[in-house]
Amino acid sequence: MESIIALGIALISAPLFPGIILKIKALFAGKKGPPLLIKYYTLAKLLRKGSVYSTSTTFVFRMGPIVSCAAAVMVFLFFPFAGIPPLLSFHGDAVVLFYILGIGRFFTMAAALDTASPFEGMGAAREAFFATLSEAAVFVVLILFYRMNGSLSLAAYFSGPHAISLAGPQGALLLLVIVSLFMTLLAENSRVPVDDPATHLELTMIHEVMILDHSGPDLALIELGSFYKLFFYAAFIACLISSPIQAGPFANTLLFYSLLTAVYVAIGITESITARLKMNLVPKYILTSFALSFFAIILTMEIF
Amino acid sequence: MHILLTALSLILIGGILPLLMHRWFRLSKIVHITTVTAGCLTGLYGLYAVWQQQAEALFSCSWLHVFTLAFALDSLSMFFLLPVFLVSPLIALYGYHYLDKPTASWRVAVNNFFFSLLIVSMALVTVAANIMTFALAWELMSLSSYFLVMFDFEKEETQRAGYLYLLFTQTGALCIFAAFAVISSHTGSLSFAHIEQLPHGVKLVAFFLAFVGFGSKAGVFPFHIWLPHAHPAAPSHVSALLSGVMIKMGIYGILRIYILLDDPSPIIPQTVLICGMLSGVLGVIYALGKQDIKRLLAYSSIENIGIILIGAGLGMLGISSGNRIMAAFGFAGCLLHVLNHALFKSLLFMGSGAVLHTTGTRHIDQLGGLMKNMPVTGRTFLAGSVAISGLPPLNGFISEFLIYYAGFQGLGLHGAAFLFSMSTIIALAVIGGLASGCFTKVIGVVFLGEPRSVRAQKAVECGRAMQAAMILLALPCLLIGIWPEPFIRLVFASLHDMSPLATISPEILGTIPQNLAMAARLFLGLLFVTIILRRLLYRAKPISQSSTWGCGFTQPTARMQYTGTSYALSMVNFHRPFVRVRTQYSGITKIFPRWAGYASKVEDIAEIGLHRMLIQPLIWVLDRLRWIQHGHIQLYISYIIVTIAVLLLVV
Amino acid sequence: MINNIDVILVLILLSVLLSLGSSRMMTLIKIMALQGALVSLAPIFLDQHSRLSSGGVLFFQLMFLIKTALIPGLLYMAVTKISIKREVEPIIGYHASIFTGLGLILLSVYITQRLGLSLHGDYAVLLITAITTLSGGLFLMMSRTKAITQVIGYLMLDNGIHLMGMALTKHSHNLYIVEFGVLLDLLVGVMIMGIILHNINRTFDDVDTMYLGQLKD
Repeated sequence: MESIIALGIALISAPLFPGIILKIKALFAGKKGPPLLIKYYTLAKLLRKGSVYSTSTTFVFRMGPIVSCAAAVMVFLFFPFAGIPPLLSFHGDAVVLFYILGIGRFFTMAAALDTASPFEGMGAAREAFFATLSEAAVFVVLILFYRMNGSLSLAAYFSGPHAISLAGPQGALLLLVIVSLFMTLLAENSRVPVDDPATHLELTMIHEVMILDHSGPDLALIELGSFYKLFFYAAFIACLISSPIQAGPFANTLLFYSLLTAVYVAIGITESITARLKMNLVPKYILTSFALSFFAIILTMEIF
Repeated sequence: MHILLTALSLILIGGILPLLMHRWFRLSKIVHITTVTAGCLTGLYGLYAVWQQQAEALFSCSWLHVFTLAFALDSLSMFFLLPVFLVSPLIALYGYHYLDKPTASWRVAVNNFFFSLLIVSMALVTVAANIMTFALAWELMSLSSYFLVMFDFEKEETQRAGYLYLLFTQTGALCIFAAFAVISSHTGSLSFAHIEQLPHGVKLVAFFLAFVGFGSKAGVFPFHIWLPHAHPAAPSHVSALLSGVMIKMGIYGILRIYILLDDPSPIIPQTVLICGMLSGVLGVIYALGKQDIKRLLAYSSIENIGIILIGAGLGMLGISSGNRIMAAFGFAGCLLHVLNHALFKSLLFMGSGAVLHTTGTRHIDQLGGLMKNMPVTGRTFLAGSVAISGLPPLNGFISEFLIYYAGFQGLGLHGAAFLFSMSTIIALAVIGGLASGCFTKVIGVVFLGEPRSVRAQKAVECGRAMQAAMILLALPCLLIGIWPEPFIRLVFASLHDMSPLATISPEILGTIPQNLAMAARLFLGLLFVTIILRRLLYRAKPISQSSTWGCGFTQPTARMQYTGTSYALSMVNFHRPFVRVRTQYSGITKIFPRWAGYASKVEDIAEIGLHRMLIQPLIWVLDRLRWIQHGHIQLYISYIIVTIAVLLLVV
Repeated sequence: MINNIDVILVLILLSVLLSLGSSRMMTLIKIMALQGALVSLAPIFLDQHSRLSSGGVLFFQLMFLIKTALIPGLLYMAVTKISIKREVEPIIGYHASIFTGLGLILLSVYITQRLGLSLHGDYAVLLITAITTLSGGLFLMMSRTKAITQVIGYLMLDNGIHLMGMALTKHSHNLYIVEFGVLLDLLVGVMIMGIILHNINRTFDDVDTMYLGQLKD
């Protein structure tokens, strides 16, 4: 029962947090900023509308939003929010889930190519390239976690007696992992400095340009999927910062969501104070993230 | 075993009959397909009978009163027979509409004959139980596949490709026979028995010789050069058979020689893993860089052979370091990927054949928008692409997951074994990412968007037989993906006769197959729910059609679409030291430029290396020896006499 | 739970990685200053050296000053005074350099195990860090075109040697004297480099060592 409630809270609250990022960015710019619930309003507006489809497109274009949203929801079923055991979990689910996210990406890219637009093709090419690198970075983190607690499932990483967190026996290494994962989060969810969700020039976009031709409820599904994906990565980091305390699910949920807010605030601050990287520097950026977690593995080898 | 031999003779008859009745073109093709299918079904029944231990698994007879031909069926050979018997009849069916040239009926009949011969010889390779039988079957397989490649023998491209293939396959065979010679000179017999008692050094020599030989058949990285040339030259259904089934015989050979030698030294798994990772990563990068769809698929075969070798290498590493779970999962993933790759790679080659058949071009940047005119080909190709990218819920993921599992098991080891397990996991992740990039490129550029040429615009759907074959291959891809339990159990059961793993019990599997199945079905369920949700959301909403938004540009043309070349270029450039990218750009000179050209080509470093290291010095040496050739026949006769005299005196 | 010396060594290793991956001159110099500070702080946290003699303290303070302020400051001045391009200009690309850095760490782990010295606990890590820093410096000297990056590579090499000395000797004061000598050499080296750079800059309008190839017959 607890699991279902935790899942429900997560599913409903995910669109709230990107609002926090916007608020932070507005604060830095000295503006008032949109209301916190702005993303809910956007979703509601999109759901009310109809759609315009390009004559170039086929059913693959309509599959894109469906698959990417379903993939993101699938991940939520396996995630132990606030250390509460998730609905489902098995040894190896971490690999499965990152591949499920992979199929969401596959169809997003295919849908972008389906529109016959040169800009969307360019976005898809960039997404394919950068995603490959960040996937490698994520798997290095999984390798490290396997070294640390011998498990391969999200539930075993973040709940139970052997949860991985900064307070654990190898906490120092996790500092590296947190920085690395934060960099991967920014890259995978198309945030500054890799991609700018607020940019207006199609040539410089990555994720936004792939979904240019989607409209109405389709666009809402895509947006929802990307909120969930961002929420998943942020929750991953939040769980690393602190494992659940011995205080019952309610206090844990409170702790978890405050840490999560902190992660989103950190994203907002990063977006406000850093500039976009040049496109040819993005691979180096993701490789740095890869190097950090790889480095953490080397340190586990026999040294510490 | 007798059932199996009956099946093989049936298949062979299916090859000979078309030769006799090639004047009745359609009839000969129908006879070929039905007989081959009947033979394969009989073969499958024979496997089932042996599996249930209702039939004996041994057969031997003497040949020429000198050699014994021995055949035996163990679980490994039975598993490798599965793709042979499952995929071959579908490829034959596909060939019905693909080889639709009544004017060339004799040629088609000959092709059908060698097709049957190849199936039979592949089956014989897997069941061969002594060195002589194996060598004979292996040569038969190489030669019959050579004649299949040479279908369009009057084209120069085909001749060159065929020559290259013959060269590689014979050099490979030479290495394999050398390995057998080393073995039999120590055991003193031609049988497979007692090989495991050889001294350690001999075992290593034999293994590496055989690895080079089998690797060149399978398409392992430095020995793969024939593959990307032979596949574009051969007819598509032949490519499907070669790439889907025949190159797996190389993998079978590596596994078989490993089991026979039974040597636990870590150098073997390390070599296999390094070759596997190289093939996997470089194969997919070259695939990304190619614009010829069949060459791209050929490189993707190299990539998948890499994944298969990674599985095998992890299994061997598990054995040499005593980690049985890792060994079992590694080999299981390897075998399952053999089956999976046979399914989806045949499917993809068939799809590319259908495209080639109707548009007449293999260049992907001239295609586009085929999904609308070729719905069946497009949809099955999409399924194959998702499967080959190793994405759930299709079958490619299941085998990759098993290999991942083995890799993660290996993380508990120390020293070099740990480093190897870690790098395989990273390599698999990179391969997975690049493969999905590669196949979104194929799907996106060939089947989606707008047609880039008139030929692509006028494409029509392929014949019924071709469609049926592709659908029948796409369905098992989905089936293995969402119902993997029986297949994983089958694979684990197939490991039973591998002597180092004989004691593996199925308990170590635990609930993994059920969990994988659950995840796949859950994802499909979620997908279904989302589709229904989307339907509901779109109820009574205005939906209109319009052209793609051109970002402010009002007159977009189909040629402005992103091409496959530019899609892949940044990814290819990233791996530059391992890939050579040649670009030609004419530049823009005047204020009103007339014509500008840009061409880029991705070159294979193995090919360049071979050319520089081997061929150029060889040509140099041979040039120095030109003086031997005079043109005087008398002198040549004296050469012969001298040679014979020297041989008689020395040997 | 978090061991101080471990943190410092990890940070030193990270600074090596970062310096291999950084594309800006100024960033590189800042990283080197940080690395100098970390390297000169490291002996304090090594468990056996809780007591330092007054001479040791003096040496230590001087070294800290030179490594973190004086040399980086001179380099900073060299970069700003001589209007050279701020890009690092690698011969081996940044991606390959980062991978090489990771490879160097693995290699030093391997070498440390191979040396078979019975080093306990922290000292093994110290040796790994030392070898990585040393070889990282060598790699930086090999793979970058500019004269100033050669000096930075040399600085990193020096840091590596310093750490190596710390790991291998039982840390008598002799080490300080030797190290101090090296440091002075380095300082002189940096000054000479400043002068040479100035001259190269006047002659070729750039400080790319590639141009020095033109001086051969």
